[in-house]
Amino acid sequence: MELRLENLTKIFTNRTGIETTAVKNLDITIESGTLVGLLGPSGCGKSTTLFMIAGLEKPTSGKIFFGDDDVTKLAPEKRGIGLVFQNYALYPHMTVFNNILFPLENLDVPKDEAIKRVKEMANLVGIGELLDRKPSQLSGGQQQRVAIARALVKKPRVLLLDEPLSNLDARLRLQMREEIKRIQRETGITTIFVTHDQEEAMSISDKMVVLDFGVKQQYASPQSMYTDPGNLFVGKFLGNPPINTFEAEVKKGYLMINDKKFMKIKVPDALYDIGMRPENFRAVAEGFDVDVKDIYHIGRDTMVHFDFNGQNVRALVDSDDISSEDKVVHLSIKESRIYLFDKETGKVVNHG
Amino acid sequence: MANLKNSVIAFFGKILNAIKTFFWNVRRLFTNIKNRFGDFLDKHNINFVTRFPNWAKALLYLSPALIVLMVFTFYPIINSFALVVYQNYNMTTETVTGYTIFGNFITVLTDESFIVPASHTASSAVINTLIIVFISVPISVLLALFIAAALNTIKPLKSFFQTIYFLPYVTNTIAIGLVFAYMFRTDGGLVNQFLGLFGVNVEGLSWVESGAVYWRSMFVLIFYSIWSTLAFKIMVFLTSIQGIDKQYYQAAAIDATPRGRIFSKITVPLISPMIFYILVTSVIGAFKIYNSIVALFGVSGAPAGVDYNLQSIVMYIYQFIDGSNAGNLSVAAAGSLILFAIILVLTLVQMQASKRRVHY
Amino acid sequence: MNKQLFEKSNKLERWTLFVDFIAIVIYISLFLILFKLLELPEVVNGSMDLDILQYMEPIYQFLGSTLDKWQMNTIISLSVVFTIVAVPMFFINLKKVKIRTIYEVDSYVAGSKFFQGIINLLSFNPISAGLRIYNMFILVKFVKGYDAKEFLKSIVPAVKAYFKRLFTKKVKENTEGLDEYSLSIKTSIRRQNAANALRLLFTYIFLVFMALIIIIPFYWMIITSLKDFSGATTATPKFFISISRMNWVNYKVVLTELNFGLYIRNTVIVALFSTAGTILTTVLAAYAFARIEFKGREILFSILIMTMMIPGELYIITNFITVSKNGFGWVGMPTGENNYFLAMILPFVTSISYIFFLRQSFKQVPESLYKAARVDGCSDLKFLMRVMVPIASPTIFTITILNVFGSWNAYIWPRIITGVGGQEGQAYWLISNALRDTAFVLDNGRVMYNLQIAASTLVTVPLLVVFFMFRKYIMNGIGRSGTKG
Repeated sequence: MELRLENLTKIFTNRTGIETTAVKNLDITIESGTLVGLLGPSGCGKSTTLFMIAGLEKPTSGKIFFGDDDVTKLAPEKRGIGLVFQNYALYPHMTVFNNILFPLENLDVPKDEAIKRVKEMANLVGIGELLDRKPSQLSGGQQQRVAIARALVKKPRVLLLDEPLSNLDARLRLQMREEIKRIQRETGITTIFVTHDQEEAMSISDKMVVLDFGVKQQYASPQSMYTDPGNLFVGKFLGNPPINTFEAEVKKGYLMINDKKFMKIKVPDALYDIGMRPENFRAVAEGFDVDVKDIYHIGRDTMVHFDFNGQNVRALVDSDDISSEDKVVHLSIKESRIYLFDKETGKVVNHG
Repeated sequence: MANLKNSVIAFFGKILNAIKTFFWNVRRLFTNIKNRFGDFLDKHNINFVTRFPNWAKALLYLSPALIVLMVFTFYPIINSFALVVYQNYNMTTETVTGYTIFGNFITVLTDESFIVPASHTASSAVINTLIIVFISVPISVLLALFIAAALNTIKPLKSFFQTIYFLPYVTNTIAIGLVFAYMFRTDGGLVNQFLGLFGVNVEGLSWVESGAVYWRSMFVLIFYSIWSTLAFKIMVFLTSIQGIDKQYYQAAAIDATPRGRIFSKITVPLISPMIFYILVTSVIGAFKIYNSIVALFGVSGAPAGVDYNLQSIVMYIYQFIDGSNAGNLSVAAAGSLILFAIILVLTLVQMQASKRRVHY
Repeated sequence: MNKQLFEKSNKLERWTLFVDFIAIVIYISLFLILFKLLELPEVVNGSMDLDILQYMEPIYQFLGSTLDKWQMNTIISLSVVFTIVAVPMFFINLKKVKIRTIYEVDSYVAGSKFFQGIINLLSFNPISAGLRIYNMFILVKFVKGYDAKEFLKSIVPAVKAYFKRLFTKKVKENTEGLDEYSLSIKTSIRRQNAANALRLLFTYIFLVFMALIIIIPFYWMIITSLKDFSGATTATPKFFISISRMNWVNYKVVLTELNFGLYIRNTVIVALFSTAGTILTTVLAAYAFARIEFKGREILFSILIMTMMIPGELYIITNFITVSKNGFGWVGMPTGENNYFLAMILPFVTSISYIFFLRQSFKQVPESLYKAARVDGCSDLKFLMRVMVPIASPTIFTITILNVFGSWNAYIWPRIITGVGGQEGQAYWLISNALRDTAFVLDNGRVMYNLQIAASTLVTVPLLVVFFMFRKYIMNGIGRSGTKG
């Protein structure tokens, strides 16, 4: 089922009357059956957006559509959603079985079918043997699975996940990530996945939304968002190690770096914010000469530090192409991998 | 045999299942009705949730408690301010002879048995209460603190001692008070027998009977009040001492801090909020002492045939409700407002002190 | 690990528990039957002649044998002692058999089985004793792999070896060839150990001394309650009495002639209803304060907190007016039109401090549980009953206990209420009033101390039983209530 947000805005007013805009004029259409990652730094309004979709928060203005139905004013239990919380929110005094059964108690489901569905869901998420345990007797990953089963057991139209992996350790996180993707594929349910971890979002999502201070920055598939960031924020937010940014001028069609011509570029002459990803540099014989400040070998790759227009810039190049004694290295980068952002708006100028 | 057992288990399982299914279906029926009702409301655009705001819901939840509190707590507070201005209020006929602002307070304050001791007695209600407060509270708090600290250092028998020390908490004040009075009997009392072992002349050494002197009776009273209030304090102190992070003690041990200083410089400061809390509550509790006196000395508040009285402020108040001066409720109200004022001042003073003294 | 042996032992233990249970039932019914048989003095002029209580020498017929007063006392005492020993043992074992896993069985468990078997034997329960000792052999086989015969054979050498080890002198350490520093360390360790031992000794002496002060009144109470009149009033009362001299008839007099059965019933009624009411009102109110956001919540709550400082004496004055003739008319009316129970229960069906206490523990339930329940279509009330209450059940239990204890201790309000009613009101006394206001004085001026103390014991024992049943919950709950309050 398609999910559409129209002009969604949420303004919180605290007791002293100060207003904070958590979400601002959000317009997103999420296609049926896709897994969409909602990504942004903490406090950017992604959880608020999720809770508005769930119906736990009322939007200040704007509308939410599930398919063709306007659900903006509908109570949460009538929207047909499943919600998984960051801390799982399992009822500590109930067994796993009762936890998963609980949502069905409030629906018009015969007992036999309810039990069947609970078992089905438990098997789907891989906790079929743990049904008579209490949540406190489960590991973090198992609790996570129970929470997903509980969200799925009422066959929701939309599955919402609020930072579901942040309480897990690194290895489990990787495993659960794949697990969630698998479950989503098997059920074909429209899913929204909130996270602040870009790697998690990129690996799991069909499409991603990047939010900053409640404003949508870009809505695209993870790979295109990485290769074609829509603006400086998205460029900076994605990628590890982070993108290098520095100011540079384009003079007479040439990008000027360290008062030298770096590359010919087809944009109007002006001062731009330049973005270059460290991993896009190549060490080649006839490249741009840079004076090495520092050099670190990290196994397969080597990190080179140098100055571009007074800013420290990092390049991640193949260890074979460089030796630690080098004082000067020759680097090149493809033109399509150089991002020029407008100084005023931050929008990318040479892409899209 | 095993077959029979299994079939019995299966049988009961079936019954249990049937019951569970029945309840499930009942719930399902209710859900169904509720949903239909909700759909009906939605269809006719009556949004129940917005029509039923949070404060109304809260009122629904609060109403049972609030109604009881209104009748038996808030109204009495207001009414006691009304009562104190009545002169000679008669509760059976509900008549007053006039109104006075301070008259009843003056009656209480100038009463021979309230503040100023009458010439023939050794003490008054306020003096008695103050003696009890200023002797029993410090002793019991310190004792509880020492016991809790001692309990915290031992391992074997700890829970045994803990249980024993807790026993006075789960008793009836009157019942054990009677036992204490019996133990302090003049002839054949356990205490006198014990003192006799040390060569004390116990002939006619009265504690709670005729012939007792003021300080001996007071000693029994204070002893009993400490005995009965110790349990709660030990438990609270022990819980908070056990809550202290072990790292502080490890750090102190490495710095070769002596035990005494660990107690005074680490344990006490770290649980100081709790100590102040206990101080406040036990001072208030001691000001309201009543049951222990009644248990030891009866409602008159004095051993038979002595010329002094051990009554406390609360006891003084109650004598106007049922007792020698029954019926003069205005004076009782004035007395209890004075008690309230004393407690209020003490609480405020201790809250101020704790703000400055408590370490975090 | 031999799983079969473990299971065999467990099965045996279950049977032993069954026998134990039957034994407990026998002890208790024996006590009840004999207690019922106990003969009371004759009623003269409408009241019992308690003067002759200790001089009566009744003869009882029980199960075809003739028992005199002392034999009767002995049997009752034994059945009480056996019950006191057997009941906790039964419950502890029941719990252990439920939770003990195969990894927790060691020789200590086998030893405790043997010890318990001896206790069973002493309490005339040879079947349990036999089963337990047989079980011990199974456990020995399980733990050590010995058969019964081998085990018995191995005892003597083991004891010998133990004594040998005990009596061989410690080898003196060779201090030669150590430099000064190592020597100083050795002395400081020795000193430290001595200081530690001394400190521990003093700590225990202090604790034992205080424990004696706490425990002696209880002991004295129980002992005195079983003495006869002259034993309780003599100038040199005994610290120990033999089981044949325990006058259980004292309790019967207190329960029947002095009406304590009625007073206990009254107290139980008041405690039950006021506790049920308190739980209901405080749970609902605490939920509103903890979860529902409404205007004026903080103000209302701080008003409630402030009223906690006001002494109860202030309420009692007006409440007395409220419940009497010119108010609700529950007391102070002509005989037969009073409703003492309502007057004693209703003012106490809520408590601000418990609302406060419960709110604290409701607030600790994470917000996300509430959100999850909302998404699942769970109404507020259902959320409260199905999620909040079970999670906060330890607190609710503490409140229940505190409230029951409070009712058990209530003195002044019931006294005022029943005092108005005169003779009629006396039938509604709660135990505290009864204890204080019952005249234990005979017509000839003798104070029946033994009966008075027996009544005190009767009032205290139920509290102690409840306490020992829920010892851990109560002690933790009280500790926490202070910490949070």
